[in-house]
Amino acid sequence: MDCHQCHQNNGSCGSKRSLRWLPFGENFNRLPIEPSGPQIALVGMPNVGKSVLFHALTGTYVTVSNYPGTTVEVTRGAMTLDDRAVSVIDTPGMYSLLPISEEERVARDLLMSEPFGAIVHVLDAKNLGRMLALTVQLLEAELPVIVAVNMMDEAQRWGLTIDREALIEKLGVPVVLMAAARNWGVDQLRETLADRLASTPAPVLAAVG
Amino acid sequence: MNALSTIRSSDPHWIAHLETQDDAMLRKLTALGILPGNQIAIEQRFPSYIVSIGRTRAALDRETVQCIFVTREQHPTTA
Amino acid sequence: MSLTIQYLEPIEVAIAQIETWWRSGWGQDFADRHLSSRSFALLLLQKDPNLWEQLPGDRQQDLEQLIATTQAQLNRPISLEIAQARQGFAQAIEQNTLAEPNPSQRRWGERIHKLTVNPISGFPILVLVLYWGVYKFVGEFGAGELVDRIETFFEGQINPVVNHVTEQVIPWPALQDLFAHDYGIITLGIRYATAIVLPVVATYFLMFSLLEDSGYLPRLSLMLDRLFKAIGLSGRAVIPIVLGLGCDTMATIVTRTLETKRERLIATFLLSLAIPCAAQWGVILGLLAQRPAALVTWAGLIVGIFLLAGFLIDKFLPGSAAQFYIELPPLRLPKIRNVITKTWVRMKWYFWEVLPLFIWASAIIWVGRLTGIFDWLISGIEPIALGLGLPKETAPILLYGFFRRDYGAAGLFDLQQGGQLTGDQLLISAVVLTLFLPCIAQLQMIIKERGVKTALLMVSFIFPFALAVGYVLNWGLNLFHIAL
Ligand SMILES: Nc1nc2c(ncn2[C@@H]2O[C@H](COP(=O)(O)OP(=O)(O)O)[C@@H](O)[C@H]2O)c(=O)[nH]1
Ligand SMILES: [Mg+2]
Repeated sequence: MDCHQCHQNNGSCGSKRSLRWLPFGENFNRLPIEPSGPQIALVGMPNVGKSVLFHALTGTYVTVSNYPGTTVEVTRGAMTLDDRAVSVIDTPGMYSLLPISEEERVARDLLMSEPFGAIVHVLDAKNLGRMLALTVQLLEAELPVIVAVNMMDEAQRWGLTIDREALIEKLGVPVVLMAAARNWGVDQLRETLADRLASTPAPVLAAVG
Repeated sequence: MNALSTIRSSDPHWIAHLETQDDAMLRKLTALGILPGNQIAIEQRFPSYIVSIGRTRAALDRETVQCIFVTREQHPTTA
Repeated sequence: MSLTIQYLEPIEVAIAQIETWWRSGWGQDFADRHLSSRSFALLLLQKDPNLWEQLPGDRQQDLEQLIATTQAQLNRPISLEIAQARQGFAQAIEQNTLAEPNPSQRRWGERIHKLTVNPISGFPILVLVLYWGVYKFVGEFGAGELVDRIETFFEGQINPVVNHVTEQVIPWPALQDLFAHDYGIITLGIRYATAIVLPVVATYFLMFSLLEDSGYLPRLSLMLDRLFKAIGLSGRAVIPIVLGLGCDTMATIVTRTLETKRERLIATFLLSLAIPCAAQWGVILGLLAQRPAALVTWAGLIVGIFLLAGFLIDKFLPGSAAQFYIELPPLRLPKIRNVITKTWVRMKWYFWEVLPLFIWASAIIWVGRLTGIFDWLISGIEPIALGLGLPKETAPILLYGFFRRDYGAAGLFDLQQGGQLTGDQLLISAVVLTLFLPCIAQLQMIIKERGVKTALLMVSFIFPFALAVGYVLNWGLNLFHIAL
C-alpha cells in the first residue's frame, strides 16, 4: 500500500525494492511505511498549488513549479491535528476521475484504493467554474470532500470576489478560501480538517495484500 | 457554425459542437473547459493556437482547433 | 451526499442498470474500492480502460451492449454529455458565487506573455534564453569558471594532502591506491563528483528552476510543438527534454506526463540517445571551448542525430504524434526561496545519486587493477579506441562511459588537461560518449518505466550506434584531412 505505482506498473515495485541495495538505487519520493492515523489527500487539477499547500501543512518540500505536470508521484507527509498524527498525501494533478495521462491515473487509483478521513480538493479561484466540475465528481463518488479555493491573492488582484457562504450552501461541504503561497487561510483549513476528522469515525483500513 | 480554425477575429465565440468521436480528444477538451455552451476566443494562430476560455488560457495544435465548432451568437443549448 | 447531478434520461437509465448489476454481485470484485457505485457506473459508461480490464468477459459484453443502446438514444458521445452536464452545473455555481466587481487590467505579466509567444519576438527570446541561460551561465560560468576553480583547488590543496596523509596512515601501497593517487576514491571519485559535476549541475538546475517558476516552459512547449511533431512528439515533450539536459533520469520519470505510450517511448529513447545531461555537456563544453569548430561540429551532430532519430522512429513506429494541449498559467515572478530550495533539493538528489556511483567506480577500478581484470578489459577496449582513431589512453574513459557518460566525460577532462588529445580525438570521444546511455540510474529508470524488453532493445541499439557514429566521424575527418 505504500507504493502506488504498483497499481499501474505491475511488479515495478518489486524490482525497485530488489535493487535498493545497489549504491545507485533510485530514491525519488520513497513513501514511508504504513500510516497508522487518519489520512488526508490533496487532489485537484494541475498547477493549482497542491504542493505548496502540502509544504505549508507538513513542512515536507516537494517540487513546486509554475506549469502543469510538475508532480508525477505521490508523496506522503505528516502533520499534527489536535495532538493526533495525520498523514497527508500530495498527488499529481488530475483533470477528472477519468485520467488522460499516466501520472493522472496515480491520483485516481489512490482515491479508489485507500481510505481517507478527508479529501482536500484544491482549486484555483480564478477558474472556479471549470474546476468545480471535478468537485462534482468527487462528491458523486461520496468521498469526504473539503474544498480549498486557492490563489485568492491572485483572484483579488484580478478583481474577483468569491462568496464562501453561497459556495458552502450549494456544495454542501466545507469550503475554505486561501492563498497557500502566502499562508492565507492555512490555519482555517487545519481547523476545518480537525473538525472533519473529529466528526467521522477513524476510517477502517481496508485489508490489502 | 464554423470551425474555430477558420475564425479570423479574436472576439469570443460560442462553442456549438465538438466534431470528434475520439475519447482522448474529448477528455482533453473537457479538461480545459472547451465544451458546448462555453465561450472561446482565439488569441494567436502561429506557431500554435492560443485560446482563452473564460479565465483559462491554453495552447492547442491545429488538429484540435479544427474539431471545435463555434457560432457568433449563443445557440439555444438544445442541440 | 446531498448533491447529485441529473444526467440526460438515457444516461440515468444506464446508471440505474449498472447499479443494479453492481448490487447483484459485480461490486464484490471492487469491494476494496472507495468510490460510490454511481461513480463506478459513470466511469464504466465512459469505458474507463482501467476498470474495464478488470471485468470478466461476459460482463464486458453486457456493458458493451448497454453502452450501445444508450449511445443510440443520444446525439453526442456519452462522455461529452456527462462532461457537459457537470460543467453546466459547475458553471451555474460559479455564476452564483463568483463576482467580478472591478475587472482589472492585468499588468506586466500579460505584456511579457505576448512577447514570449508571438513568433516575431518569441523565437529571438527563445534563442536569448538558450544563449544566456545555457551557454553563458551554465557553460561558461558553471562549466568554465567554477569547474576551473574547484578543480584547481582540489589538485592544489586537497589531493596532495590526501596522498600524503594516506601514505602516512596506510602502509600498503595497494591499499593506498584505493583512497588516493590516480584512481582513488577521494582523489578521483569525490573529485569528479564535486569539482566537475556539481558546479555544472548546480548552475543548470538554478537556471531551470527560474524558467519553471516563471511559467516560461509551457510557452516554450507551444513555440516548439511544430518542430516536435516532426519527431513524433508533441510540444508537451519539450519539458521532459529540457529537464533531460539537466538529468536524464529525472526526465525519464517526467515522461509520464505524456499522453500516449508511443510518445513516452520516443521521448525515453531520445533522452537516452541524444540528450546529454548537464554534467556531461557541461564538461564537454568546457573541453571544447578552446576549439569552436569542434564545439560546433559536436553540437551540430548531436542535434542532427536527435532530429534524425526522432524523424525515423516517427516514420516507422505505428501511430502518430499525440495532439498537443497545454494550459498556460499566468507568468509569475519566481519566488527566490522556492527557486533556491528546489535547486538545492535537486542538487542533493543528484549528488547522492552520483557520489556513491563515483565511489563505487573507484573501488571497482581498484579491485579490477589489483586483479588484472581492469587491464584485461582495457586491452579488450583498446582496439575499439584505436579503431575510432583515439589513443589507447582513452580506453579506460570509454569503459567509464559505459557506467556513466559524465564520468567518462570527466575522464576526458583529465586527459585533455594533460594535453594528450588532438582536436579530432576530443571531438570523436565527446560524440561517442554523448551518444552512450547516460548512466546506470537511467537504465534502471528505463526498465522501471518502459519494461526490461524495451530497455534491452534500446541499449543494444545505442552502444553499437554510438561507436559506429564515432567510426564514421573519424573516417570522414581523415578522408577530408580535417584537423579541428
Ligand atoms: N499567487 C499564488 N500563487 C500560488 C499559490 N499557490 C501556489 N501558487 C503557485 O502556483 C504554482 C503551482 O503550484 P504547485 O504547488 O506546484 O501546484 P500543483 O501542481 O497543484 O502541485 C507555483 O508557481 C506556485 O508558486 C497561491 O496561493 N497564490
Ligand atoms: Mg504538485
